[in-house]
Amino acid sequence: MQPFGYLAEFNTPRELIHAASVMRDAGYTKFDAHSPFPIHGMDDAMGLKPSILGWIVLCGGSIGLTTGIVLQWWVSTTAYPLVISGKPLFSYQAFVPVTFELMVLFSAFAAVFGMFAINGLPRWYHSLFNNESFAKATSHGFFISVEAKDPLFNTEITRSVLENAGGHNVSLVEE
Amino acid sequence: MSKDTSVARHNIKLTGFLAITLPKISLAVGIVFLVLGLFVSRNNLHHFSYSYLTSFIFYLVCSLGALFFVIIQHLTRAGWSVLLRRVAEVLMSNLWVLAIMFIPVLFALPHLYHWTLAEAAQDHILKGKSGYLNIPFFVIRSVIFFAAWLLISRLFFKKSVDQDLSGDHSITLSLQKAATWAVAVFAITQTFAYVDWVMSLTPHWYSTVFGVYFFAVSAVASLSMLSLILMILRRFGFLKDLVNVEHFHDLGKFLYGFNIFWTYIAFSQYFLIWYSNIPEETAFFHQHFAGSWNTTAILLTIGHFVIPFITFMSRHARRNLKFHCGMVIWMLVMTYLDIFWVIMPNVLPSGFHLGFSDIASFLGLGGIFVWAFFTKLKSVNLIPVQDPRLHESINFHNT
Repeated sequence: MQPFGYLAEFNTPRELIHAASVMRDAGYTKFDAHSPFPIHGMDDAMGLKPSILGWIVLCGGSIGLTTGIVLQWWVSTTAYPLVISGKPLFSYQAFVPVTFELMVLFSAFAAVFGMFAINGLPRWYHSLFNNESFAKATSHGFFISVEAKDPLFNTEITRSVLENAGGHNVSLVEE
Repeated sequence: MSKDTSVARHNIKLTGFLAITLPKISLAVGIVFLVLGLFVSRNNLHHFSYSYLTSFIFYLVCSLGALFFVIIQHLTRAGWSVLLRRVAEVLMSNLWVLAIMFIPVLFALPHLYHWTLAEAAQDHILKGKSGYLNIPFFVIRSVIFFAAWLLISRLFFKKSVDQDLSGDHSITLSLQKAATWAVAVFAITQTFAYVDWVMSLTPHWYSTVFGVYFFAVSAVASLSMLSLILMILRRFGFLKDLVNVEHFHDLGKFLYGFNIFWTYIAFSQYFLIWYSNIPEETAFFHQHFAGSWNTTAILLTIGHFVIPFITFMSRHARRNLKFHCGMVIWMLVMTYLDIFWVIMPNVLPSGFHLGFSDIASFLGLGGIFVWAFFTKLKSVNLIPVQDPRLHESINFHNT
């Protein structure tokens, strides 16, 4: 059976950062670091590119902004024109709060759901949970996993790379 | 003491052009332009006093904003900003120059504030406000404001400089304690100061958010000024390896946030007055939207908000030091325009006009401001060398 990949355990965040940079320099791309808390500098150590989430949020915000203005313009001038306290039908000043709120709402939706989509969530099953020690990743364990899909993956070489980087309990995880 | 040796190899004393030649030139420029401005406007001191007040408020917001910056860094135990704090401390120490610059304003009271004139006694509304808006109380308040600011700025400056020599860590703790009451005193005094010196130019009008509005102005102005000064220092080879793109990135975030805050407050002030449409409140905007002042207001919306909002949003823009430098200069220009738009319609009812008296006041007060700044900066280290969090600031990285 095709394995999912390797899982290696590390003792401290510092070791984890070091190991991640070793994996990056060795040319691995499909590997991940797991820790109970965020570690500063991990993005660089893993060689991660900036997320595209910001652009998704920008699109969401722009759509919200446009929706807010167009909705109020259409309602106040065409669908249900009402003169309120003698002000013009198209009073952009009055439209600002709703436009702003819709922009924030759409941006927030884009951020949350965009994040889910990029992370591949929700997901009911992940091969890493086949490894029992991996449960420690939520309390005090630091792990690096390397997927078998990585072009450089090799049962012999990858194991030695992980062990040389300071990993122990290096084990194959089943799909 | 390993910290000390690591910063010792850097250039932490101001020398050369910035320390010797620039203060001399700027002092000369300052005095020449003030005298020239006064001479050219000798027949129109009324106008000149408004130009003077505009420039005075511009430099005041820079220094008061720096005072706020220093207090808030202590209050939040910020580590990233330690390298930048000394420059901000020197900027806030310029308040003594501003206190002296304020004296001519006291002599120009009848030109600036029409509630000081005898006619005010006939004015029903001003009569009602005379318990607060009268000359003796105004002068007393002004003295209190400057006394409070000088007290706070001297305390924070002196203790910080003392720490350079003694390395006493308890100073950091005592300043953190002092920051608590200092920020409260700052908030109250600056609100009343802007109400007295700027809002009372239109004494019939009132806006409850005016103090916050000028607080936002001062935060934007001082962060821009701080960034610009650090760029200049780096340009002349100081702090080059210490203050890096990470610190500018954070200053940029701060500036960006406060600029949106400015927009929020400026719009809120306008929005509520526009909505309720009560004559004694709308009078201000009626006056400030007259003629080309309307164009100025639109220009402010676009230049002060829309352009920085879009172009300065990206981290790449904030980390591009050339662009960053251009942006902070632009923000300073916009801050001046904003203050100009608030103050000058009182003397130029028909529309925007930038005259020689405005330029002379700006360069005149600016020259003295720059002289005082670099003279003080030369006398101290460019960074708080013994601050316990200095190391954190040197190794600071944005994630």
